[in-house]
Amino acid sequence: MASNVGNSISTDPEAGQADELRDNPAPDKVGAENAANNNTTEPDDTYAEMITVYNSSSDIRSPIKLFKSIFVGFYQGRELSWRLFMRNLKGLYRQTLLGLFWAFLPPIANTAMWIFLKSTGVFKMEGTVVDATVYILTGMILWQAFIDAFQMPLAALSKNKNMLGKLRFPREALLAVGFGEVIFNLAIRLLLLIPAFLWFNVAVDWTILLAPIGVLGLVLFGTALGLLIMPVGSLYQDVGRFISMALPFWMIITPIIYVPWTDYPGNLLNWLNPAAPLLIWSRDLLLVGSSSPHLMVGLIFLGATFPLLLLGLVFYHVSLPVLIERMQA
Amino acid sequence: MIHSPQLSNDVILDVNNVWKIYCRNLKKAMWYGIRDFGREMIGAGRDRSQSDLRRGEFFAVRDASFQLKQGECLAMIGPNGAGKSSMLKMVNGLIRPDAGQITLKGKTGALIELGSGFNPILTGRENVYINASVLGMKKAEVDRYFDKIVEFAELGHVIDDPIKTYSTGMRMRLGFSVAANLRPQLLIMDEVLAVGDVGFRMKCFAHLNEIVKSGVSIVIVTHAVGMLQRIASRSVVFGQGKIVFDGELETGITVYEEMMTVSNENQKKKEECTHKPVASINTIEVQNDLGEKQTEFETGDSVKLRVQLNCKKTLKNARLVVALSSPVHGTLFSTSTAYQDVQFDLESGGDSVTLTFERIPLMIGAYYFNVSLYGPEMTDFYDRRSGQGNFRVTGPPTNSAGMGINGLVKMRHDWSVGE
Repeated sequence: MASNVGNSISTDPEAGQADELRDNPAPDKVGAENAANNNTTEPDDTYAEMITVYNSSSDIRSPIKLFKSIFVGFYQGRELSWRLFMRNLKGLYRQTLLGLFWAFLPPIANTAMWIFLKSTGVFKMEGTVVDATVYILTGMILWQAFIDAFQMPLAALSKNKNMLGKLRFPREALLAVGFGEVIFNLAIRLLLLIPAFLWFNVAVDWTILLAPIGVLGLVLFGTALGLLIMPVGSLYQDVGRFISMALPFWMIITPIIYVPWTDYPGNLLNWLNPAAPLLIWSRDLLLVGSSSPHLMVGLIFLGATFPLLLLGLVFYHVSLPVLIERMQA
Repeated sequence: MIHSPQLSNDVILDVNNVWKIYCRNLKKAMWYGIRDFGREMIGAGRDRSQSDLRRGEFFAVRDASFQLKQGECLAMIGPNGAGKSSMLKMVNGLIRPDAGQITLKGKTGALIELGSGFNPILTGRENVYINASVLGMKKAEVDRYFDKIVEFAELGHVIDDPIKTYSTGMRMRLGFSVAANLRPQLLIMDEVLAVGDVGFRMKCFAHLNEIVKSGVSIVIVTHAVGMLQRIASRSVVFGQGKIVFDGELETGITVYEEMMTVSNENQKKKEECTHKPVASINTIEVQNDLGEKQTEFETGDSVKLRVQLNCKKTLKNARLVVALSSPVHGTLFSTSTAYQDVQFDLESGGDSVTLTFERIPLMIGAYYFNVSLYGPEMTDFYDRRSGQGNFRVTGPPTNSAGMGINGLVKMRHDWSVGE
C-alpha cells in the first residue's frame, strides 16, 4: 500500500488519489525494483501519485487513521530503527576497553553496595525465600529496566531534537530504537541471574516461564508512563529535574531491598507506586513461584498496561508537531 | 479556506492561504504548547487565521499562497525572520500550519542538514547507510548506489576510517553525496549550497541542474542569492511573513535587496531623527537622463540623483557627500562636491543639487544612496539620509554558470586567442 498516512500530518479522506493508492503494491518492494531500473537522477515514480496534505485540523478526529498512522510509522521506520539501534550500540562500546562489560556493571555495583550495607547492619532483610543477594540483584535489574523505559521517551526526544526539527522521517522509529535499547540492556543484565541462581542454589518454579510476560509488561508499563509525561516533560524541564531528584526516594519506596508489605496500610504502596506492582510480580514469578501473594495486583496492572501504552503513543504522535515548533533546531 | 487536495497534473506543491503563528516569549510559548497539545487531544485544533493572537504571539507566515510545477526550481528568499524557514518546515511536514493547507504530490526529500545521524566514531561506510536510512532510503538502494555516493564525495580513500578523522568539508561532501541520491518528486533545500571547495560546489550545481531537468522540483532557501542563478529560475520573496513577490529570479533578488535597504534605513532612522539642523536634506529622487523619475534601469543607462536641500539661513560653502551602496556589498562608490571643486552657498529657502552617473556599469541588483550635507569643515555636519533613492538594475540577464557575464559591475573587456 503506497500509504500517505505515515508521511502526512493530515490526509484528506476524500482525496480520490488516496483511494486509488490503496490498490498499489508495497512501496518498499516497488521502490527497490524501480531503483534498479532508474537512472539515479530521475525521481522514484513509486510515490508519484501520492497526495499528502498538511493543515490545522486535529488528527484525533479520525482515531482509526491516527492509530493506523502510528503503526505505519513503526512499520515504515523499521529499517531506520535497526540502523539507529546498531549505530548507538556500536558507538557506545567501540571506544571502550571493557566493551559490553559496562552493560553488566551498574546492577553488580548497586547490588554490591546494598549487600555491603546489609552486612554492616545498616538495614535488615528478612522473609526472602532466596538469598538476599539474588533477591536484591533481581530487584535491581528489574528496577533499572523500569526506570530506563520510563525515561526513554523524554531522552529519545531530547537526543534527537536536531533531527526531529529538520527532517521528516517516521518518528515512531525513535521509540523503537529506545525500546530496543532498554530490552537489550535488560537482556544483558538478566544473563547475570544465571550464575547467581546456580551459585545460590535457587529453586526454579514453573512460573519462571511466565516471567518474560511480567518483565515485558514492566518495561511496557514504564514506557507508557514515560510517553504520558513526555509532552509536558519536554516543554518544562522541571519534570526531568524532579524525576532525577525523586529517583533515589522512589527506589527506596519500591520493595527492592526489602520484602513487600502484605498488611494494610503498607501494602497500599504496592498499588500506589507505579513501579511496584509489575516489579514485584515479575520478581515473584522468577524467585517465589505460584505461592506469591502479589499475583493479582500484577495481573491488574498488566491489563492496564496496553490501554495506557496506546494512550501514550497517541500523546507522542499528537504532541510532536507542537513540540517541534518550540524546539531550537 | 481549504481546497480539495486534487492537484492539476503538473503541480507538485500547492501552498494555499497558509498562516503560521509563533510566540517569542519562552514561558508563554511553553504554556501555549501545553494548551495547544490539550486542544489537539480533544480534537479542537482549528483554523487560526482569523483568531485573535494570544499575548506574545505574532504571525510568522501570513496568508502565503504559491504553487510549484514539476521540474521547476523555486528560490525562497527574504531577510532573517521573514518566514522562509517556517514555510519550508511546513512544506516538509515538520510543523503544521495554523490555517490554510499545503498539498504535495509524490515523495518529498529534504536536503536541510547534511549528514544527519552521523556518528563520529563510526566509519564513513557505516555512516552512509545510517544517513541514507534517516533520509528514507532502503538498504537495497544504498547497496546499489554506494560506489556512486563514495565516488561523488571523492572519499574512496578514507571511506573505512571513522568520520571523526574527516574535516568538516569532507563530512559535508559525504552528507551531500548521500542526499544527492534521493530520488524524490520534490526536493527541499535549506542553506546547504556552500558545500566543500569550489570544484565540489560546481559538481553539486551540475547535479542539481541535472535532477531538475529529469523532472524533480526543488524549493531552495538561502541568503547566498548570488548562487541562486546557477539553479533557480523563479523566486518567492518573503517579507515580515508575507509573500511580497513571486516571479522571475532576477527581479526577486532586487526586491530582496531593496528590502535589506529598508531594514538598514530603519536602523538608522533613530540616529537621523535626533538632528534638527539649520540646513537639511529635503528630498532625494532618482531620475533618468531626461530628468524623469525612474527606479528601474539597465546596465549602461544614465542615472541622475537629484537632491533637494532646505536651509533656514544662508550656509556658505556647503558640501554634499553621496555614497552609492548595495545592500549585499555595502558602499560601492562615494564622492563629494569637493572632489570636483563644486562650491555652492545654500541661500535661505534651499536649493537643489544633481549628480549624474553616465552609463552605469552596475549589473542586476538593487542599489541605494546615502547622502550627507556638510559645511566647509569636516566637522560641520548638518544632515544625512541613508538608504534613499532606491533603484534597481534589472537587465541584461546574467549567467553564473560560466556561459555569460556575471558579477557586480560590467567591465569593458575584449577576448583574444593566440596573440
